[in-house]
Amino acid sequence: MLDYIQFVLAPQVVTGLAFGVAVILVALGLTIIFGLLDVINMSHGEFYAFGAFSALALNWLGLPFWLLLILVPLLMLPVGYFVERVLIQRVFNRPDRHVTTLLLTFGFGLVLEDAFRLGFGPNPYRPDTPIRGAVEFFGIFLPNYRLFLIVFGGFVIAGVALIVYRTRLGAMVRAAAFDRNMAASLGVPVAWVFAGAFAFGVSLAGLAGVLLAPVYSVFPTMGRDFILMAFTVVIVGGMGSIAGAVVAGLFLTQVQSIASLYISPVWTDPIVFGIMVVMLMVRPQGLFGRLGHA
Amino acid sequence: MPTFKKSIFAALLATTAATATHAADPVKIGVVTPLSGTYAGIGQQVRWGFDLATKQINASGGIMGRQIELLYEDEEANPSVAVQKAEKLFQVGKVDFLTGTVSSGSTLAVGQLAERAGKLIATTVSFADSITGDRCSPNVFRVNARAGQQSAALAVWLSKEKPKAQVFYLGPDYEMGRSTVAAFKSSAEKVGANTLGEVFAPLDSKDYTQYFGQIRASRPQVLYTSVAGNDTVRLFTQLQEFGLLNNMTVVGASGTVTSQNIGAIGKAAEGFVTGVGYSTEIPSPENKKFVEAFKTAYKADPDLYGTDSYGLIYAYKAAVEKAKSTETDKVRDALRGLKWATPQGEKTIRAGDHQAIQTMYVVRVANGEFKIIGQVSGDDAIGADTCTRF
Repeated sequence: MLDYIQFVLAPQVVTGLAFGVAVILVALGLTIIFGLLDVINMSHGEFYAFGAFSALALNWLGLPFWLLLILVPLLMLPVGYFVERVLIQRVFNRPDRHVTTLLLTFGFGLVLEDAFRLGFGPNPYRPDTPIRGAVEFFGIFLPNYRLFLIVFGGFVIAGVALIVYRTRLGAMVRAAAFDRNMAASLGVPVAWVFAGAFAFGVSLAGLAGVLLAPVYSVFPTMGRDFILMAFTVVIVGGMGSIAGAVVAGLFLTQVQSIASLYISPVWTDPIVFGIMVVMLMVRPQGLFGRLGHA
Repeated sequence: MPTFKKSIFAALLATTAATATHAADPVKIGVVTPLSGTYAGIGQQVRWGFDLATKQINASGGIMGRQIELLYEDEEANPSVAVQKAEKLFQVGKVDFLTGTVSSGSTLAVGQLAERAGKLIATTVSFADSITGDRCSPNVFRVNARAGQQSAALAVWLSKEKPKAQVFYLGPDYEMGRSTVAAFKSSAEKVGANTLGEVFAPLDSKDYTQYFGQIRASRPQVLYTSVAGNDTVRLFTQLQEFGLLNNMTVVGASGTVTSQNIGAIGKAAEGFVTGVGYSTEIPSPENKKFVEAFKTAYKADPDLYGTDSYGLIYAYKAAVEKAKSTETDKVRDALRGLKWATPQGEKTIRAGDHQAIQTMYVVRVANGEFKIIGQVSGDDAIGADTCTRF
């Protein structure tokens, strides 16, 4: 029994953790955008890919990986801001906002995907793993880079939570989410806050792209890998809730990880979606409700 | 009288004009191939192969004086899309012949459509044995080597290099994955290898680490895999990350490591062995000429898919010239038993199941390139004819 825990269950939990951190990073951006802006961003996966491709291109120009970790998210801030102001604002102030933004972002995602294919070709690339080697603890074998992912990802998530819940900036964001007119009349620059939040969400996706590029490789359709999982996490955790994204992200990836030990891996995705369906029926606001409302 | 002469003259002119335009009618070949999506890289090589052969044939007069015209449609590696696009090419494009399907699912689906439309199709990529085996069709031909031929070649090599090897199998969970694993398993077990276990991962799996516990526990000498494209990149690099490549030889299907993903796999591909129907290193003068022409035109090496696609156009040309027509039944008879020259040597299309017989090569990845380490004759590799429909 102990052998089983050590050699089969524990490694599965740990690799599930690395995947979970990655999913949370992508889902965090999505939940902020959904929770705050009420925008269903179907192009979020493509922004994740954008981060990975930018890292690839800058790496070819000679920039080291560690610089890219900071540079790419920073570069994506103006990109996200631009997209929000120019594209999303156009279709935002209408009663059928959900449909129009969904269509708009979906189309934009398709355009981005083909842009990657035109720019980089359809074949996969893989930047070299920046940290080689692996550690072994209690018989569990874990490559160093995945360990770094878990630790660094954890810090980023903690940082985001800190910004949102403990700073004035975060308070403005939450106020605008709760009641934009009231917040505006109290002096919160709502338009800036919205665009900034979108940019921040997109930049988080880009950071996830950079971090995961050595692990999952870079190719034009990579956005599709994560988008469904990210949406599931957002819905189960609560649209707009940071805590929800973290808890749901960890929970769902662990479910996937451990379930694949007992049943054919093909069934782990339906199980995760099944949880989402049950959540929608039983508690539609998710585990933790909306940003600003929690 | 002059009017009568004029009208006769006009009639003669009209008939000569009619026959002249009829002779200049292009031979239309429809190509339904993935130009986007996961298999876009393969589709690109397929396209290059077809384009190069067509350019060369058209420059030297075409087929029986008629130029070849290729009509392309994107199948997105999805059988239902492939069927729709093929239908469009048959009904609207009025193509004489159809080819280009990559995924075995697409080939099987389009094959059924071809039977209803009374046209012939050929695949130059699909590996699944069933296409010329238990699901063969009188309207479907295959010029590339199928999974059975690749695994026969690989098994012969394995029996010489690692007799009585302990083998673990990891394949993608769909038609091609399951049939390649089954094909190699039976060839390998016949030469004395021992099967430790098998596992099937969904296509586009991001993380293969969940299977590593099983693999590590069974301690295999050899891992056989038939993943492809991005899945190979992730599997191999993750195997390397987790230290599993240190004591294990990885062998696999020929589509697993190709020029499209070998760059991304990097060092993790070193030592990978496979049985394959083509290598740019084949030392024949035809192959050297072909590789030169391909590189000049597209600035890339031809791979298995590009070469087989190139070979198909020449096969079709030979068949139409033998049949002196593009009519389905006549071309079908001409294709059966056809022998023609390709960069890989002479291929023969077996009449019993429409499968091409060719020499198979065993190659290993060394320093990011495939080196030929052995070859197996066409007859040794081909296997039995299991098609009973015709």
